[in-house]
Amino acid sequence: MIPLAIANQTVREAMRRRVMWIFLISGLFLIAMGPVFGFLSPKDSQTVLRSLGLAAILLAGLFITIVTCIYLIPVEIERRTIYTVLSKPVQRYQFVLGKFLGGFATVFINIAAMGIVFLVLIYTQEHKVPMDMLLGVVMTFFQMLLLAALSIFFSTFTTPVVNFFLSFGVFMVGNLSSVTDSLASNPNPLVSNAGKIVHYLLPNFGNFNIQNSIIHPTIEIKNQEVFMMQNIIYAIVYSLVLLTLAVLIFDRREV
Amino acid sequence: MSDLYSEVVRGSVTVWVFFSTLPLGKEVHILMASAIKIDGLTKKYIDVWQKQEVIAVNDLNLDVQEGEIFGFLGRNGAGKTTTIKMLLGLIFPTGGDATILGKPMGDNSVKQSLAYLPEETYFYDSMTGWDLIDYYGRLFKIPQPERARRVQQCLEKVRLQPDAWRRAVRGYSKGMRQRIGIAQALINDPKLLFLDEPTSGLDPIAHAELRDIVGSLKDEGKTVFLSSHQLADVELICSRIAIIHKGKLLTTGTIKELVEGERTEIVAQGSALHNGVFAKLKSIVPSVSIEGEDRVRLISTSAEEINAVIDLVRGAQGQIVAVVPQKRTLEDVFVETIRREEGEI
Amino acid sequence: MATKRLPDDLQNRRKKAVPILIVLYALTMFLQAQIDPRVRELRSGEQGLESTSGGLGGEFLLLPLLGFREAAAGLLWVRCDEFFHSGDYDAILPLVRLITWLDPHAENVFITGAWHLAYNFTDSTERSDRRYIVPSQELLKEGVRNNPRIPDINFELGWQNYDKVKDYSAAAAAFTAAINTRAWKGSDDFPYGAPLKTHHILAHTYAKQGRIPEAIAEWRRALARSAEQLARDPRNFTYISLNAAEKNNIKELFQRYHDRYTDHDHEKSVNPTKYPFVIAPPKGSNIPKPWDVNLHVKFEAPRPKVFKMSGTMNIADGARLEVRISDWDYDARDMKRRDVVSKEILQKFKVEEDQTILMDTASVRKNRFEKELDMSKDPRMYSFAADTYKVIFTFNIRTTSPHIQDRHGYSGEGLMDVKEHIVLDRHIDLLGTKMIEGQDGEGPVWDGKSVPWLIDGKGVYGQPARLVRVTYKLSRKQLLGLEPITNKDVVPNDAL
Ligand SMILES: Nc1ncnc2c1ncn2[C@@H]1O[C@H](COP(=O)(O)OP(=O)(O)OP(=O)(O)O)[C@@H](O)[C@H]1O
Ligand SMILES: [Mg+2]
Repeated sequence: MIPLAIANQTVREAMRRRVMWIFLISGLFLIAMGPVFGFLSPKDSQTVLRSLGLAAILLAGLFITIVTCIYLIPVEIERRTIYTVLSKPVQRYQFVLGKFLGGFATVFINIAAMGIVFLVLIYTQEHKVPMDMLLGVVMTFFQMLLLAALSIFFSTFTTPVVNFFLSFGVFMVGNLSSVTDSLASNPNPLVSNAGKIVHYLLPNFGNFNIQNSIIHPTIEIKNQEVFMMQNIIYAIVYSLVLLTLAVLIFDRREV
Repeated sequence: MSDLYSEVVRGSVTVWVFFSTLPLGKEVHILMASAIKIDGLTKKYIDVWQKQEVIAVNDLNLDVQEGEIFGFLGRNGAGKTTTIKMLLGLIFPTGGDATILGKPMGDNSVKQSLAYLPEETYFYDSMTGWDLIDYYGRLFKIPQPERARRVQQCLEKVRLQPDAWRRAVRGYSKGMRQRIGIAQALINDPKLLFLDEPTSGLDPIAHAELRDIVGSLKDEGKTVFLSSHQLADVELICSRIAIIHKGKLLTTGTIKELVEGERTEIVAQGSALHNGVFAKLKSIVPSVSIEGEDRVRLISTSAEEINAVIDLVRGAQGQIVAVVPQKRTLEDVFVETIRREEGEI
Repeated sequence: MATKRLPDDLQNRRKKAVPILIVLYALTMFLQAQIDPRVRELRSGEQGLESTSGGLGGEFLLLPLLGFREAAAGLLWVRCDEFFHSGDYDAILPLVRLITWLDPHAENVFITGAWHLAYNFTDSTERSDRRYIVPSQELLKEGVRNNPRIPDINFELGWQNYDKVKDYSAAAAAFTAAINTRAWKGSDDFPYGAPLKTHHILAHTYAKQGRIPEAIAEWRRALARSAEQLARDPRNFTYISLNAAEKNNIKELFQRYHDRYTDHDHEKSVNPTKYPFVIAPPKGSNIPKPWDVNLHVKFEAPRPKVFKMSGTMNIADGARLEVRISDWDYDARDMKRRDVVSKEILQKFKVEEDQTILMDTASVRKNRFEKELDMSKDPRMYSFAADTYKVIFTFNIRTTSPHIQDRHGYSGEGLMDVKEHIVLDRHIDLLGTKMIEGQDGEGPVWDGKSVPWLIDGKGVYGQPARLVRVTYKLSRKQLLGLEPITNKDVVPNDAL
């Protein structure tokens, strides 16, 4: 209840941020450019439309998630609104959870908006609803869930500027799962251990990158449902880990 | 998941405890006369470079009774806000303890009956006044028809003009913000309010209005812990005060005790009063000032002295012109107390 | 030291949270281990894609998008390396192209990519696809253009020409360019432009070309440099042995040179036949006649695209007879591709699908050789799309082993063939080769002017190699076994 009330208020506050709208509109613009680029490109225009759309959702989603989530808690502390909240019967974990849910709902609204525009655009071109594209959007969405948790986690002990680079950096490194996976099986123990640490300890954002496989019709994802479910569970469990850590740190924080 | 789960458990336990203690409520109330009991509370800040230590609050002991308006006075940086924040669990003490309404400070359940108006707050200023108070109402889990009623009640009570209720807080004046701040503190009908300088920076009319609102809380049986620099206000509405300086408690007591003291001024007059009488008077009271050929003003500190002086004057055919009990302002007390601490007196 | 005291409920929560945290974290690792094989499978499915990104996740495109071109290239290279290990060769080329575009200074990618092109595309019997040599060398040349101060790419270009293409003049040019690279302070070889080994291999290249004096001069340059190295660190065993090896190489080169040539009076032993420099003994001398290799070749197509070469050759064991089956106009088209390097070569390392070429060798044992060449199993490599083909058998004394060179001379001066299969390697590089004084003042002294001969109407001096060669001109039908192959299909060397 309380986290939901906080989340509700957080979404309203976040949706007012101008920078979020800039990224959302850029994302929508890029998606809308798909058919134009498809027309210009020598490649199959459907492929261009699809890859551009998914890339736009990912990129805009990435920035929206980061710029939204890094500010949620620091702004409350800076404006001292947190005093009025924490002096009410609100547990600190409820506050963190509420902020996370609010940030996440904001991201959801944005990705859903872009996703719907994207799917409708494809529908107008192909006259059918592409299920695999929907899955692509869903995977991006869960990738952003994990990123939101990461940014919230960092925001309990860093400033927004530092957090921006930290979140971005971990997202990048976590995205190189194919590289870290190769490194993990390197014969050099130093390299392989470093690879394993990055691969298993850091949040593995690369798991969610299925754009290539769904864009190219020749590739099939075997046991697609299991794969998706595993990734979704991974995102949720890892987010829980990050949020628990965030709460433990925030519990000690003097506001 | 586990957090949500434990919240559910905690919530139901709280409800159960609440109901099971309900019949005992009155007894508990009578047993616990202290709303706040502070015991050796200390807060040290360590400089980032570990080179020096700031003691914001130093071994503070205080007892605030239920139902009183307690003035918490001190200069800027004395440690008032720090104390309040510790009591609310926003920051953590480095030593000492405190109980609030019988529960250890920072305890979540007791916050149900607490209110806090921070100094200089910026609210979520894109929200309207109504929505803002409504939001705080949600944090107390006040269900809907009741919540709307309470929001309206609070806004009316702080006399925020109704045309501003549905406007964004961003456009509010300082006085309106302060009213909204008090309104959010009242939404849960608290037993104990911590008000950190609620009347600073207001015009005289608004100032008086808000002061009266705070004063009226006493009539509702609420306890108020009021941190303020407005000594005139404090003198008017508070029953007891404490003065803290550089984190240390200097003095505490009722206003009456602190202000009135035991001094009485006596003015005597008469042509028969001459140097011999003056000398005798000086032997009775230490402070005697001769104001002309036939007039004298003295300060006595006890009833025997007063009687002795009157007897002497009357015996010498003189007249007692005035016997005035000497009353100081709270400001005098405050300045004197701090000067004495600083070694200036 | 002041320590914060947290309320009890916060501390209790901490105690409770830690075990839950550990369990959840372990669960993420477990899940990751479950996901990994699926992701790998997915990515391996993507690798076959014919896209420039090689079926890579969006993460690789994010980096260059943000301006981290080199970083992206580096990460891609890690990925590429894995494809090498997994044998996923098709995935490598687009990656090599992408990386070298992202980071034009990734010299090892140019080198490895070129090596991959030249060596790793093979038919079912491990014969490499020679058609990839043009794109491979174009990639190296692009690398040289992008990295004029890195000798390694030129070295690789030289090595490929030396080892694979056996174009020694191109190799010598590349090694020389590597040596002439402007020295830079960051390099291991400072104050030299290229590592010492470049001199060594250049000396060997000169020797293969027959430019013995230049080979010796190169060894001497190397010797000077290694002596300098040794002076700086006289107890370094590597330097000591390297220096000794160089000295030994010079000595051996001189010895061979001396043994092979000084017994002959070059002026008098000029061959009066139309094959200059084949040494015919002067009349009345007891020097034996030039050695007659007496080459007989039989080439048949017992089944379509399956060939059998056999025959006799009068030469010591260990000699190898090279065979090359190609389109008649293969070299002409290749030259054209090199002259006008198309976008396709540079962008996709594309080979001409309709070109066919095979190169192999057969060794001679007890004067006989025999080999089956099966070109039927690799239709993508051997399309047999042309109408006319050229099948060439060559014995090149320059690439043969030293013990045979000792008998017949570096350049085949002591060779002849009754069937007139001798042909001169008319390579212009032989210009200006001349003899020098011996190591200790004695040895062959040939001023380079005493043996003039003509190339394209110009009098030049040098040592052309004498190749023993038989060339067939065959039709497609003959190669498919539909029509017989006879001696009439042999084209006389004069006519080429
Ligand atoms: N986070 C902190 N780090 C270091 N010192 C602090 C910190 N917070 C407060 N202090 C110090 O503690 C002392 C008490 O501050 P506090 O805010 O409690 O004063 P105050 O009585 O509320 O003053 P004012 O009337 O100006 O509001 C001050 O000297 C202040 O500098
Ligand atoms: Mg203060």
